Amino acid sequence: MTSTSSASDTADARPLRTAFVGKGGAGKSAIVGTFARLLARADDEPVLVLDSDPMPGLAFTLGLEIDDAGIDDAAVVERAEGEEGPRFRLRPGLSAEDAVEAYATVAPDGVRFLQIGNLRGGVGSIMRSQHAFHQIKSELPRNRWHVIGDLPGGTRQPFLGWAGFADSVVVVIEASAKGLLSGRRFAKLAGSVVEPDRLFAVVSKARSSDDAQQVESRTGLRVIESIPWDDAFADAEREGLAPLDAVPDAPAIQQIQSLVHALQGVLT
Amino acid sequence: MKVAVVGKGGAGKTTTSSVVARVLARGGASVVALDGDTNPNLGLSLGVGFDETERLVGMRQALDADEGDGDDHAADWDDLLDRFASTGPDGVQFAVVSQIDNPDPGCP
Repeated sequence: MTSTSSASDTADARPLRTAFVGKGGAGKSAIVGTFARLLARADDEPVLVLDSDPMPGLAFTLGLEIDDAGIDDAAVVERAEGEEGPRFRLRPGLSAEDAVEAYATVAPDGVRFLQIGNLRGGVGSIMRSQHAFHQIKSELPRNRWHVIGDLPGGTRQPFLGWAGFADSVVVVIEASAKGLLSGRRFAKLAGSVVEPDRLFAVVSKARSSDDAQQVESRTGLRVIESIPWDDAFADAEREGLAPLDAVPDAPAIQQIQSLVHALQGVLT
Repeated sequence: MKVAVVGKGGAGKTTTSSVVARVLARGGASVVALDGDTNPNLGLSLGVGFDETERLVGMRQALDADEGDGDDHAADWDDLLDRFASTGPDGVQFAVVSQIDNPDPGCP
């Protein structure tokens, strides 16, 4: 959507619930951070971006100084004996939207940012945080929030908490030998998470027009957007700057903008 | 020596590991390279090729599914390598340790 975008364009649109997965180093965080901000600019509904990668990165791309925005342990209570349900849940009276309001960091363009993967106070703490996360995702009003996930790089638990929640999955793939092999694995794993028509590949760091074709033929995924290798974008990332602020006209950013349109077009 | 290579995704763990393994092997050492990444690509960097990398991953999965060739645990380290390793360039022995196929396991 261009600057003429307004609520009327998207009044009937269903907010996105999109999980971005891919090999470590493929460019997930760089794409997700930029994507979330461009989505927030294009659409009136609020955007929550969930970082479940334990490694830092997304916050910098968003343009935040911090790399940690977790849910306070005090926001989560343990199930009382004899009670049903998950072991931990949000404190009674604290709704999912309240929790986002209280604990998410507000990034530029109004994007809300929450970090889940970091170990803060040991394993007990991460369990609390995981449960709270899961509850926030499932209880945020469906017709209001875009929820965008930056998922961990490995294939150990690539969709933890997202199966049954994500309405679309984007596999970020660089068309290198390792990237393509990894892409095949993610494609296979994602097949049990979303319907085939909700599963897409984004080519990252594309160096030739052949890259997209390679990705399609080797992974069987449909390429929804191809993002070129872009020195200016990469330099901003390397410096820890938000590419969207540092190099707003970079070619990679234009393609991520197209990705926002493409996903909105396909999914709504 | 026993060396574990760790780091952020995309930092170059796999590439570094493969070169270290092959340089050590060229120097005359007996080298075993273990791919402990859940997204195992080390075979590609070592130079064993795409098909062999996938074959070893598949062997690891068969073990998980209890379709492996042995009904007992491997007797020792050498037995384990005999069953699950492949010999790559410069004589580096290579095996895949882990790949998990459940996209959303219950426990964090």
